[in-house]
Amino acid sequence: MIAARRAGRSALIAGALASSLLLAACGSTADTAGGTEGAGGVITDKGVTDTTITLGIMGDTSGVFKNLGAGLNAGNQLWADDVNAAGGICGRQVEIEVVDHGYKADVAKTLYPQLEPNVLGMVQLLGSPVLAALEPNLIEDDMLAAPASWSSEVLDNPGIMMIGTTYDLEVVNGLAYLQQQGLIADGDTIGHIYIDGEYGGNGLKGSQYYAEQHGLTINEAKVTSTDNDLTGIVTGMRGAGVKAIVLTTTPGQTASALAANQALGLNVPVLGNNPTFDPALLDTPAASALGNLYVSASNAPFSSPNPKAVEVTTEFKAAYPDAPRNAGITTGYTEGLVWQNVLEAACEAGDLSRAGVKTALTTLTSVDTEGLVDVLDYSSPGAPPTRGVYIAQVDGSVEGGLREVAPLFTSPEAESYVAPFQES
Amino acid sequence: MSETLTPPATPTTTPPPAPASTPGRNWLKIVATAVFLVVLLLLPVIVGNGGVAYLKLAQYILIGAVGGIGLTLLVGQAGQLSLAHPFFLLVGAVGYAVLAGDPEESDDLVGLGLPPLVAVIGAIVLCGLVGLAFAPVAGRLRGIYLGVASLSLVFLGLWLGQSLDMFSGGTSSGRNAPVFALFGFEFANSTPAPTIAGVAIQKQQRLWYLFLAFALMSYFLARGAVNSRIGRSWRAVRDNEAAATSMGVHVTRVKAGAFVISSAFAGLAGVMTALWLDLVKPDENEFTGTYSLTVAIAFLAVVIIGGLGSVPGAVVGATLVFGLQQFFLLGSQQFGWFADAQFGGFSAVVVSAFVYGSAIVLVILFEPGGMAAIGRRLLGRRRSPDVPSTDDGGRTTPREDRS
Repeated sequence: MIAARRAGRSALIAGALASSLLLAACGSTADTAGGTEGAGGVITDKGVTDTTITLGIMGDTSGVFKNLGAGLNAGNQLWADDVNAAGGICGRQVEIEVVDHGYKADVAKTLYPQLEPNVLGMVQLLGSPVLAALEPNLIEDDMLAAPASWSSEVLDNPGIMMIGTTYDLEVVNGLAYLQQQGLIADGDTIGHIYIDGEYGGNGLKGSQYYAEQHGLTINEAKVTSTDNDLTGIVTGMRGAGVKAIVLTTTPGQTASALAANQALGLNVPVLGNNPTFDPALLDTPAASALGNLYVSASNAPFSSPNPKAVEVTTEFKAAYPDAPRNAGITTGYTEGLVWQNVLEAACEAGDLSRAGVKTALTTLTSVDTEGLVDVLDYSSPGAPPTRGVYIAQVDGSVEGGLREVAPLFTSPEAESYVAPFQES
Repeated sequence: MSETLTPPATPTTTPPPAPASTPGRNWLKIVATAVFLVVLLLLPVIVGNGGVAYLKLAQYILIGAVGGIGLTLLVGQAGQLSLAHPFFLLVGAVGYAVLAGDPEESDDLVGLGLPPLVAVIGAIVLCGLVGLAFAPVAGRLRGIYLGVASLSLVFLGLWLGQSLDMFSGGTSSGRNAPVFALFGFEFANSTPAPTIAGVAIQKQQRLWYLFLAFALMSYFLARGAVNSRIGRSWRAVRDNEAAATSMGVHVTRVKAGAFVISSAFAGLAGVMTALWLDLVKPDENEFTGTYSLTVAIAFLAVVIIGGLGSVPGAVVGATLVFGLQQFFLLGSQQFGWFADAQFGGFSAVVVSAFVYGSAIVLVILFEPGGMAAIGRRLLGRRRSPDVPSTDDGGRTTPREDRS
C-alpha cells in the first residue's frame, strides 16, 4: 500500500514537472531595453515620470548604525524637501523611497529587487557588507549609488558615487595634522587599532602610507567589530611607547580605547576616522576621557560654523526636535546635493535614464557643496573625488559633540597617495 | 563486538501499525502534496516579474530548509547537538568559489575553474570530509558538551576566513560567487529570456528552480535515510547507546556518520548561500553575519520549531525562521506597515524577532513535538505517545521519527 502511494506521488510530481516544462516552451521574448522620451524631451527609463524623480535609500534604522542611519535618512529627506520647495529638478519633484535593512546583507539582498524597479538610483546605500553583496546587482542594473561607506576599495565600480574622501585619506590627513601640531614626529611609533574588514583595512592603508613617508613604526592591532574592551591592546601600546593612537573602530570601542588611554596615564592624542565617534558617547562614563580624540572626516561637523552647515542643522532641529544630532545629518544632506548636481547635468544633457545619469556623473569636475565637503571631481574613475578633510576635536559643550579645530585642508601626503583603483 | 560490520538486527517482526488512515485521507495528502509542488513550480509565474523580491525570499527559505534538514537529522534523529552549522556553510560557500572560480579572475585568489556542477558536488564532499575530521570529537561527546565543542568551529571559521584570503577573498570585499551553469545553460540574465506564461525566466527565476531541485533532492534523501537502516541506527544511538551497542550498532561510527551527513547538507546550503548572495565573504565578527553565531541559533530554532527529527518540520521551521523577518520587511515596504519606526519603536525587524522568539517558547511549552506534531494531528495520523513503536527500541517519547 505504501508502495502504491509512493508511485502515485511520483506520478504526480512527474506530471507537474512535465506541465511546467510545457509552459516553459510556450514562448521566448526579448526584454525591452532603452528609455522612452518623457516631458521636456528628456529620455527616461526607471524611477522617473513626467512629474517625479524617485531615489532610493537602503539605510539602517534598526541595526548597529541606527543613530547614524536615522541622521542620514533625515539629511537626505531635508535635501529633498528643499529641492522640491525650490521647484524640483528638471521640472520634476524628488521623492525618496526608504527601506531599512538593519545592516544585514541578506535582508538587503531580498529588499533590493523590490526597491530597484521604482528608483532611478540610490541617494544613500549604508554599510560595507551590504554594498559588497549588492555590487553585482548595481552593475547589472546600471544603477548609480552614493554609499554611506567610505572605503576606497569600492571605487572599481563606476556606479559608486563617493561623497567626500575615503578612510585611507582621512587617516593620512589626520596624521599630517597631528604632525603639524607637533604631536608626533618622524621616526615615532604609533598604534593603529582597526576592525578587520573593509572599513578597518582601508583605514590601515592610510597609516601605512603615512608611516612609509615619515619613517614611523606602526603597532597594529586587529579587532572584530564586537570586541568591546580594548584595555589590553592599549596597555600593550603603552609598552611599545606609542606617541599617538589611530582608531578605525566602532564608537563603543573608541570609548574603551580612550578610557584606557586616560586610565593608564598614557594620554596620547588619538586620531579617529569619521565613524569612530557618536555623540551618544558623551553620555557614557568614558565622556571625560574623550577630549584626546581628533576626528578626521570629509564632512563638516554638526556644530560647524560653515553657513550651509548652520542652515541644514537649524532646519533639522526644527523638523526633528527630539532626534539624535550627529554628523549623519550634514552627510545625508551632502549626498543629496551631489545627486542634485548629477541630475541637473543629466537633465541638461537630455538623458535622465540610468545610463544617462552615470554618464553625467563623469562630466562633473567640480561639484560645490558650499563647503559641506571639499569640492568634488568625478572625472577620473577609481580615484577618490576629493582628498580634503575637516579635523574636529571632541567637546561636550557643543552640539553634536565635535568642535572644528582645522578647516578643510588636504595635506601634501594625501595629494601624493595613490588609491587602490586609481589610474595613473 | 565492535569489529563487526554486520548490520544491526532489524527488529521488524511485525509491520508498523498501519496509520489510522482511511483511503480518503491518503488521497487528501497526495492531492495536497501535488498542489503544493505545482505551486512551488509555478511560483515565478504567480509572483510575476514584478515580485522578484518574494522569489528571492522563497529562495532564502530553501537555503534554510536544506541546512535545517541536515541539522534535524543530526539533532533530532542522532541526538547530537551541534552549533557548527554556519562553519560548514562557510566551507561549502568558499569551497564552491574556489573549485568553480575563474583562475584568471585575480592573482590573489585561488580558482580551479572546474565546471560548476562538479564544484557543487566537490564542495559538498569537502564539507563531508571536514565533518569527518571532526568525527573524533563528534563520536565521543554528546549533548551540551558536543554543542559547546562544535561552537569552536564557528570561531575557527571566522579566523580561517579572515586569514586565508586567497580562498575566501578576505573580509574586505570577499570574492564573487561563480555563476552556476549546467551543460552550457547559465543561471544568469540573458537576452532573449525564455518565458513561462509571459513571465521572463531570468536569473532569479532560474535560481529558484535550481534551489527547488536542490531542496527536493535533500528532502527525499533525508526522508530515505530516516526511514532506512541508517535512520534506525541513529535513533538507537540517540535513545540508548548501551542498548544500541548490544544490538550491534557501532556507536562511534554512527555518530560520526551523522555528523558527516549533516555537514554535507550544510555544505549544499553554503553553496546556495553563495549563489543567493552572489558573493562569498567571511564575516567581520562572530555575532552577526552570514556564517555567525546568530545563524547557528537560527538553524537550531528551525529544528526546534519544526519538531526535532522531523524532515517536513524542518522545512516549516525554515519558512518561519528564515522567511518571517524578510516577509515583514517586504510587507512593510509594500503596504506601509511600521511606517513610523524611523527613530526607534516597532520595526519589522523587531516584530519578527518577537514572533519567532515567542514561537520557540510556545512550541517548547505546549507542543514539544513542534510543527511536525501539529501537522500530524491535522492529518489525523497522531500516534498515541504511550504506544511503544516497534522499530526504535520501545521508546515512549512521542512523534517525530519517521515523518
